[in-house]
Amino acid sequence: MKTLKALVITTMILPASLAQATEMTGTERTLYTAAQSENGVTWYTSQLTTEQAEEVCALFSTRFEGIACYPVRANGSSTLQRVVQEIQAGAVQGDIVSTNSVSDFEEFKALSGLAQYMPDNLSGMQPSLAALNDSDGYYFVSGVSPFGFVYNTDLVSPDEVPRSWNDLTDPRWMNQIAIAHPGFSGSAGQWAIAMDRLYGRAFFEGLAANEPQIGRSIADGYTMVTTGERSLTVTSLALGRDAMRDGKPVDLVVPDEGMFLPPSAAGVLAGSPNPNSARLFAEFLASTEFSEWLASKGRNPLRTDVATPEGTPDLNQVSVLTVSVAESLANQQDVVEMFRDIFGI
Amino acid sequence: MTTDPQIATHARSFRTRLSVLQPVRLVWLGLALALALLVVAPIAMLVIKSFTAAGGGGFTFDNYIAAYGRARHVQALWNTLIMGLGTTVLAVLLAVPTAWACTRTNMPGRTLVRIALFGAFLMPPYLTGVGWILLAGPNAGFINQAWTALTGLDDPLVNIFSFSGLVLVMGVSTFFTIFILVSAAFELLSSEMEDAANILGAGPFTTAFKITLPMAMPTILGSALLTFLVSIALYGVPALISIPARYPVVVIQLAEFFSFPIRIEVAAAYSIPLLGITIGLLLLQRRVLGRKGYTAVGGKGGERRIIDLGRWKWAVFAYAMLVVLLSVAMPLLVLLMAAFSHTWVDGFSIDNFTLEHFHYVLFEHSSSQKALLTSVGTGAAAATLAISLALSISYIVQRRLLPYGGVLAFLCMSPFVIPGIVLAIGFYAVYALPPVGLYGTYIILVLAFTTRFLPIAYTTSTNGVRAINPEMEEAVRILGGGQFTAIRKVVAPLLKRTLASGWILMFVPAAQELSTAVFLVGPHTRVVSVVLLDMSEEGTFERLAALGSVLLLIIAAIVLIGVKLLGRDFMLRRT
Repeated sequence: MKTLKALVITTMILPASLAQATEMTGTERTLYTAAQSENGVTWYTSQLTTEQAEEVCALFSTRFEGIACYPVRANGSSTLQRVVQEIQAGAVQGDIVSTNSVSDFEEFKALSGLAQYMPDNLSGMQPSLAALNDSDGYYFVSGVSPFGFVYNTDLVSPDEVPRSWNDLTDPRWMNQIAIAHPGFSGSAGQWAIAMDRLYGRAFFEGLAANEPQIGRSIADGYTMVTTGERSLTVTSLALGRDAMRDGKPVDLVVPDEGMFLPPSAAGVLAGSPNPNSARLFAEFLASTEFSEWLASKGRNPLRTDVATPEGTPDLNQVSVLTVSVAESLANQQDVVEMFRDIFGI
Repeated sequence: MTTDPQIATHARSFRTRLSVLQPVRLVWLGLALALALLVVAPIAMLVIKSFTAAGGGGFTFDNYIAAYGRARHVQALWNTLIMGLGTTVLAVLLAVPTAWACTRTNMPGRTLVRIALFGAFLMPPYLTGVGWILLAGPNAGFINQAWTALTGLDDPLVNIFSFSGLVLVMGVSTFFTIFILVSAAFELLSSEMEDAANILGAGPFTTAFKITLPMAMPTILGSALLTFLVSIALYGVPALISIPARYPVVVIQLAEFFSFPIRIEVAAAYSIPLLGITIGLLLLQRRVLGRKGYTAVGGKGGERRIIDLGRWKWAVFAYAMLVVLLSVAMPLLVLLMAAFSHTWVDGFSIDNFTLEHFHYVLFEHSSSQKALLTSVGTGAAAATLAISLALSISYIVQRRLLPYGGVLAFLCMSPFVIPGIVLAIGFYAVYALPPVGLYGTYIILVLAFTTRFLPIAYTTSTNGVRAINPEMEEAVRILGGGQFTAIRKVVAPLLKRTLASGWILMFVPAAQELSTAVFLVGPHTRVVSVVLLDMSEEGTFERLAALGSVLLLIIAAIVLIGVKLLGRDFMLRRT
């Protein structure tokens, strides 16, 4: 009784940050203890921008004091290449990987490159997202970042904004569009599969006729629009909201067919040099704290215990376009190859 | 008793065999082994892989079919040759008149131009490329902003994301080699023939075109060829420009073979023609120069007088300044502006001034601090290793200490014909994978950089050793000193300058190297060039510019220290 009382008092006077640290789950505590004799976690990611990845790592290292976190951010294709290269070389140097293309994880799985690990914290995940987690237990959803149009309001008047994905083929947008190359950007690859399903080859031919600026990452197109180099891009709506908050002259459009939803996934690498740190980081990605960070950035949280931030559409209430893992595996190479042939690059 | 003579023979042959294993021969063997590991193994592996079925299968031609079976892939090879040709022509046009003006005329500001152009040597091509994107991006680029403001026209004046934009950036990134080599050749030409032309009534330009240029032609052709080879193998500039320009080239296609599904064998097959082209061109050059129609070049004899340009001198000066502006001043200026701006498009103003990007790359971004150390460290290690190796070999070759020295010399020079990205694929195939398993280590980077820039080290070393008269070493031997005493007391002190200038010439490109690094770095061995490339794809040019400036500053500081020790024109003059 006395100890309980003492505990209650201690908890009350403890500063909030320390109180949070005591909230570690049993699994987290075990992993945290084991991770202390390891060399931190190396996180290969194309899911976030460099700056965001740095923030998430800093948050992780604050929560789990003493466990270093090294983000290695690159576009989807570079990340895929690096991980496959390491798996094939039998020299795995990364601990955990997350990208915007679930089909990447099927490739890793096929190469026996993933460890079977599903975080305990997934129990709090929204059911609609939890349904997308790997049924074999190798990877899980680590983010959702709906795509739409982001346009420069200095260059495009409100009545001119495109309404449909197919408007990208309208000659009115000649020399004004920025897109990411589906062969380099994982999420652009997924988007291209969805566009192929909706409008077929004609969509890409029409888009090519408009001479879009082709970058290697969707973040590139976004910067092109905020700087006024281009007026319209296909990118993460959350990036657009970030830019609006920063006072940049941009606005968003959700196309009539629905926003495109590439779920991001994460998985612990088999043969990871720091297996406990890797699993601890996986727990972190599924934790309330990470979902709170997502919400603070205007992104959709993954868990039921964190509310969708104001201004961000609740994915359970709007129409979304998705690409299933099977569709992605079946079509990705063909669509990328078609894109290369049409665009000549 | 027939056994005795047999024993004697045995003993003799044993002694002969023993004499084969003398210390100097062991040195030869050691050096040969080092070169075999650095140069022969990666290239041999590349050739073998190109004929091997994926997954360790048997002999096949399928890789070549996969590599060249698509029109797009063949187009990329063709595009590369056109781009290389365009780049070379532009580089010659930029370099040769400027070199002539700086060495043989009374153009004002010659020293200024030389120092400014040295900046072109310090600027890595991908930074020049980013500078030009900020200058000539079709809508937001400064040149086009100014054009629209001046004329009210919406159509851009210049577009960097085009074939001509690609050639421009490649040209200004690569012309320095021609400038430096042709300057050296011009400095060696005596003025007698020019004087003769003058006496017969030729003006300065007629003399330049009819006398000076033809006499320097072998050097011009040779350095132009080098520039062609460098430009077709450059990775950074095409990665930035040729994708948006939709102008596929070989290096981008190779990167595609290296993305999923990774097809090293196809990549190897695809790069063999590139190797063939470079070897073929070098052989052609040998044949052309082998005719020896140019014997006027070579001696140091004769007097050299500078030509009075008269009223033309300001026009020539204007041209030289244009070269400085295009290659160094403009891209560097906009990079620095971007590094100190909140948003680069807003240009330079007090409101837009910030140090946040420097703070970010130096203290917040987790990998750039370490990348700076890695770049400088691996660059320095590679420069040291290459100079030691090259100096030992050139000493052996020049002093004819051992037979077959020519083989070593050939191996030292051969990386010149291997494009960086191809070398990286070879290195990856031999050393990254098990059983060697060097992936993600600093060692593989140092070895690859050493190999890539070995020809620079070897050329400098050979020039240095050649300049030392063997009589001085012979004097040591006559006085009873051994070979090693001669090296320690005579050769080493005399070579200090060569060593230092060779080291700097190696260090600068090695600390900035991108094309070999891009496939060989691990998560914890990323060099600055690779971090910059990753930053470029997010379009965060302000941060990229800040990190790039820090790298430039460090490299410039190290070079300045070297220049202080060696005298200003250590690389503008033949040792």
